[in-house]
Amino acid sequence: MNYPIWDVPYLGVTGIIGLISCFHICIVNFAVGGGMYFAVTEQWAYKTNDEGVYDFLKRLSKFFLLLTTVAGAVSGIGIWWAVSLGNPNSIHTLIQTFTLGWAEEWVFFIAELATAFVYYYTWGKISKEQHLKLAWFYAVFSVLTLVIINGILSFMMTPGAWLTTKNWLLGFFNETYWPLLFMRLVVFAAAAGMYAFVVAARIQDEATKTKVLQYTTKWFIPLFIIGPLVGFWYFKNLPPDAVTNVMTGIQASGVGNFSILARTFYLSLIMTGTILVFAFVGPYLNPKGFSFHAAVLFLLCGLFVTSIGEFTREMLRKPYVIYGYMYSNGIVKDKVPELNKVGYLKSSKWVHDGMTPVEIGESMFKSQCLMCHTRHGYRSMERLLGERDEQSITAFLQMLQMTDKEKNPYVGIMPPLVGTPDEVAALATYLSALTGTAANPPVKQTAALPYKPVLVK
Amino acid sequence: MMAQMLKNKVYGWLDQRFALGTMQELAGKKTVPVHRHSIWYYMGGIAVMFLIIQVLTGGLLMLYYVPEISAAHASIVTINSQVDFGWFVRSMHSWGANLMILALFVHLFTTYFLKAYRPPREITWLTGLGLLVVVFGFGFTGYLLPWDEVAFFATKVGLDIASQVPFVGETIATILRGGADVSQATLSRFFVIHVFLLPLALVALMGVHMLMVQLHGMSRPDSVKDQAVREEKFFPTFVLKDLMVWLLLFNLLAAFVSFYPWGLGPEADPFAAAPAGIKPEWYFLGMFQFLKVLPAYIGPFEGEHVGMALFALIGLAFVVIPFWERGQNPVRKMWAELFGSVILFLFIVFTVWGMLL
Ligand code: HEM
Repeated sequence: MNYPIWDVPYLGVTGIIGLISCFHICIVNFAVGGGMYFAVTEQWAYKTNDEGVYDFLKRLSKFFLLLTTVAGAVSGIGIWWAVSLGNPNSIHTLIQTFTLGWAEEWVFFIAELATAFVYYYTWGKISKEQHLKLAWFYAVFSVLTLVIINGILSFMMTPGAWLTTKNWLLGFFNETYWPLLFMRLVVFAAAAGMYAFVVAARIQDEATKTKVLQYTTKWFIPLFIIGPLVGFWYFKNLPPDAVTNVMTGIQASGVGNFSILARTFYLSLIMTGTILVFAFVGPYLNPKGFSFHAAVLFLLCGLFVTSIGEFTREMLRKPYVIYGYMYSNGIVKDKVPELNKVGYLKSSKWVHDGMTPVEIGESMFKSQCLMCHTRHGYRSMERLLGERDEQSITAFLQMLQMTDKEKNPYVGIMPPLVGTPDEVAALATYLSALTGTAANPPVKQTAALPYKPVLVK
Repeated sequence: MMAQMLKNKVYGWLDQRFALGTMQELAGKKTVPVHRHSIWYYMGGIAVMFLIIQVLTGGLLMLYYVPEISAAHASIVTINSQVDFGWFVRSMHSWGANLMILALFVHLFTTYFLKAYRPPREITWLTGLGLLVVVFGFGFTGYLLPWDEVAFFATKVGLDIASQVPFVGETIATILRGGADVSQATLSRFFVIHVFLLPLALVALMGVHMLMVQLHGMSRPDSVKDQAVREEKFFPTFVLKDLMVWLLLFNLLAAFVSFYPWGLGPEADPFAAAPAGIKPEWYFLGMFQFLKVLPAYIGPFEGEHVGMALFALIGLAFVVIPFWERGQNPVRKMWAELFGSVILFLFIVFTVWGMLL
């Protein structure tokens, strides 16, 4: 809690992280899926000795290199920055738990980048056999980056036996490790196919264009058969509470509390389905008429699906950042009873003597709510609290402290509010001042806290 | 081998009964010119796609909707919150309606500016106008069905405006209302119009519209008349492209539905005061706003009457345009373009104005 807090107005920290991640995943799925696509396609070109296909691969690899090394690498670093600023507690835990994993990730990443450059710059300079080998090297390295990062990402959703043993390998190879790995491989491969359509749509020679477009459509078919199976496998291994959220959305998504999760999930299913039909009626049945614009629009739909898929996966984890261990706002679940007793802000370096209740309330707000809410923007306090006055805000906050689902309908959606009654009262004062419902503008007075705050100069 | 024989047999059977060969010939006849305005040829098809969605979702909604004033609102609540995927179907229907009308506006104005109404396509144009009226009717009657506050008062206001039409207005409004007030009778009538009368009219008009399109093929705008333009087969080439566009727009619709599920206001209370700022749906908003800003009296006439007379004249102009501007007289062509541009401009300005207020 003593990391500095990054306060992003309107968009919120989540908004920033979300935007960068969505962009990043769109690139990454090409970086990894492209590895497989290049290898398999170059193998095919080699076998049929088709110069047209080679030409196409050459052009695709140029686009690929630019996109993955520039946009992919930059946005990847962007995520690191945004997450370390926005959610330092979680990244701290992840780094400490998986130090070796992260190190490996960087090794594979560098190997991947290096191979990508060599792959592009050696077209026509080395023998076809050697170049084909490079393609397979690249495929292996890029998949290995996924093999590593997937352990850490799936850990956040299902930390499994790590929770009790704190053994990092058990956390790494957790319940959703394998299904998520295969799911991503499938999704990434599909995305690579869509990127390939964009470049293939511009092939001048009609025979090659038809050949490559139809080949790439076939690339999708196994993916769409395996995809639903691994998706189901993944779902089977999710924590039941997370699945319940999605299932209640079948009926009440129009009105439900957390229904956005269910709705985006269904949307990604619909869009995935239409992608297959699209590939069939477009590039497969009518390759000559398949235009660059159509390919781009199609790609955008596909990327939109991957983005909302990731969004859904992230939302599924709420209210945790590491499921069952650490809440989204960095509070460790097991510490809650203690913090409620001694005071949440007790060890905070950001509160000091002589602060007004509003200021103390703001400290509470920043460290417990700001991770997911904003004051006036995304999921804003202003809108969510509406007309509630200080008294009803207090009642609401008291409810948020409860961990019983019967009494607090937000259990499983929001982390419980943590703090002593005084701290909660201060938060209520702050919030009512924020939304302008405070009865009297709060006077400048020192708050009564049950502990002596640490003084910072 | 076996499969081929079976296929031939089935085809033969069907061919004897449905004259598949002739149909295939008809389908193969139509071609679509490829040029820089070709994108507008997709608009009618887009309307067809949305229409299909309306028919399917509308049918599903009827399974649970109850057209009775004490139960209508509750039945929508049930659809939204208890029926599996009810919220989804309902949002599809509501969003689909709006996107369809938007597509129709684009279709109307682009066929207008491409002069697709010219001979021999007068009937296509006129049935098109008829379809627009029918679709407006769907929008107006459908809006009341959830029986929530805005629906109730918007209908009331809309019918009050309709009753201002000189001579016939009051009679028409009374027939639609089923009395002097918006009541159970109104809801029943609107329901019957929405699910029975208008669909009949739609099928009839659509049939003629599509038949005409098939017979005449796509028109060519003046600007590419003299160029050598490639013609593309409608079936299957253009149809396949149509399907791609449909899928993209279907995804757009699904995105609206998922991110902004259609809401529902509080149940209508006929005895309550009308809430402030009642507005019709956006497609009527331009006209509504225009009537609103007219002065109470223009010369000896009531402002609203003048406004309505003007709407009638504009409507009439759209009806006679294919008989007046036949592509032979450049001056008339210029006037037609000017008229279309002014109407489009005013439509957009007044709609946006109405939205901002
Ligand atoms: C439910 C409403 C409607 C549907 C489903 C529909 C459908 C279609 C379709 C599929 C086409 C052929 C493709 C195209 O040109 O876009 C077409 C053509 C046409 N439509 Fe419509 N339409 C509707 C309403 C209208 C309206 C409101 C107008 C204008 C008043 C209109 C005027 C025309 C004309 C003039 C053509 C011929 C275009 C050409 O040959 O270039 N239609 N319609």
